Amino acid sequence: MKLKEVINKIFLIEIFKGLFLTLRMLFSKSVTIQYPFERREVYDGFRGRHALVRDPFTENDKCIGCMRCSTVCPSRCIYIKREKRENKMVVVDYIIDASRCIYCAYCVETCPVCALVLTEDYEYSSYKRKELIFNKEQLLKNWDDFASKWKDDFYFNKFWQPPGINPSRWPKTKREQKPIQLRKVVEIRKEEKNESNN
Amino acid sequence: MDTLYIIAITIIKTAVYFGILMLHVAYATYAERKVIGHIQLRLGPMVVGPHGILQPIADVIKLLLKEDIVPAKVDKAIFKAAPIISLTAALSTFAVIPVDKNWIIADINVGLLYVIGIAGIGTYGIIFSGWASNSKYAFLGGLRSAAQMVSYEVALGLSLVGVILMAESFNLTEIVNKQTEYWYGMFLFPQIIAYFVFVVAMLAETNRLPFDLPEAETELVAGYFVEYSGIRFSLFYLAEYLAMFCMSALATICFWGGWTAPPILIKTFPILEFVPGFVWFLIKVYFHIFLFFWLRGTLPRYRYDQLMAIGWKVLIPLALINIVVTSIVKYYY
Repeated sequence: MKLKEVINKIFLIEIFKGLFLTLRMLFSKSVTIQYPFERREVYDGFRGRHALVRDPFTENDKCIGCMRCSTVCPSRCIYIKREKRENKMVVVDYIIDASRCIYCAYCVETCPVCALVLTEDYEYSSYKRKELIFNKEQLLKNWDDFASKWKDDFYFNKFWQPPGINPSRWPKTKREQKPIQLRKVVEIRKEEKNESNN
Repeated sequence: MDTLYIIAITIIKTAVYFGILMLHVAYATYAERKVIGHIQLRLGPMVVGPHGILQPIADVIKLLLKEDIVPAKVDKAIFKAAPIISLTAALSTFAVIPVDKNWIIADINVGLLYVIGIAGIGTYGIIFSGWASNSKYAFLGGLRSAAQMVSYEVALGLSLVGVILMAESFNLTEIVNKQTEYWYGMFLFPQIIAYFVFVVAMLAETNRLPFDLPEAETELVAGYFVEYSGIRFSLFYLAEYLAMFCMSALATICFWGGWTAPPILIKTFPILEFVPGFVWFLIKVYFHIFLFFWLRGTLPRYRYDQLMAIGWKVLIPLALINIVVTSIVKYYY
């Protein structure tokens, strides 16, 4: 044991081991993703830029103004303005302060109608703070941005449903949640298919 | 007329040598970033040109266009002179380094002494810059550098004594010619201890990792050239890389047989005889440059007392033992 240590010390065995390790690393594949030219694959459950889902049929948002999202929000960054018009509650404006948001997605989990989504866009940094405070118009525009890039006609993310809770205890809306429809086109295509099948 | 002709030829030679050297230095920075990057599983520079091949040119343009800042309380004359001293010393060493047979600017008979002496002058640039900067980081860097250079210059010089004893000459061309008389064509094998001492001292002399204490980024920001910017900063950088090339060339000439290939190799593969000498030389120099980068990518920085202990307690005794053994063997055979 003693002799071995002496030999190790004289012939710098440890240093040579290190040198061979780095030499092996020199010829192995590098892990760099060259960001502006290449992009990392976005995984399920990614929580990016906020968006209000635009219903392809009514061309408007789905929000019913139930206030659950602004109540559950831990950083209190959701502001909803509503008015009673003709015995009906109308959402006038819906504001999310993205600079204060912590991206916990509680608002998405709690929404009974799937009106709010954290999309997979993550490149929305800005030089002005004002541009990070999304109003209803901007939120709908965010959704359009995302929908135009999404290849499929439906969008669904299993992380929207409350995790760790038995599905039987979920609210009915969550249990019966369907993928969000992005385009009206889908229906037409289905009809076309049916026709061609016939 | 004859002297004028010689002067003109020397100036042309120097200009060509200088140009090639500068290109090498520029691409050594690129090579370093690439090698260190790949060792750390990164890619290194990739944006300017294909695989970042034009990065050094972009760097030079950036450094030339940067504002040249001279802090208010520096000793202006010395502050401005220091990088020039460093660079001149580093450049002057190449005057006596033979790249191929007769490819040499000044074939003087004390070439080896000249190289070691001029390389030592480079330390003045570092000490001056540290002192004149009027900054604690620069000052500490300069002091460390002085102590390190003084102690490692001894080991460096002593390690070369074995080579001088075997070659019986200080002339670098003579040293190379002497090596071809052996069938293995290198002093590397009989002088393996001296080579080890030389490599370690070489790292310390050029302030490279693992002995880069004068410019230890984590403790001294950038060491002796913290206060420099723009073109003056780049002169120090240039001097450092030139010193690396100088030491690599010295190692190649003194231990690896310079521009000659081992005779045994040429005997077994006669086709290698047609490879020009400077190719062998460059291959050997590039190996040493790669060794610098490789060691930088592998080893952490030594503590200051460890550095001094290695220098005085290990390398100098080893070099002395090597001299004694070489002398005895030389005397009896």
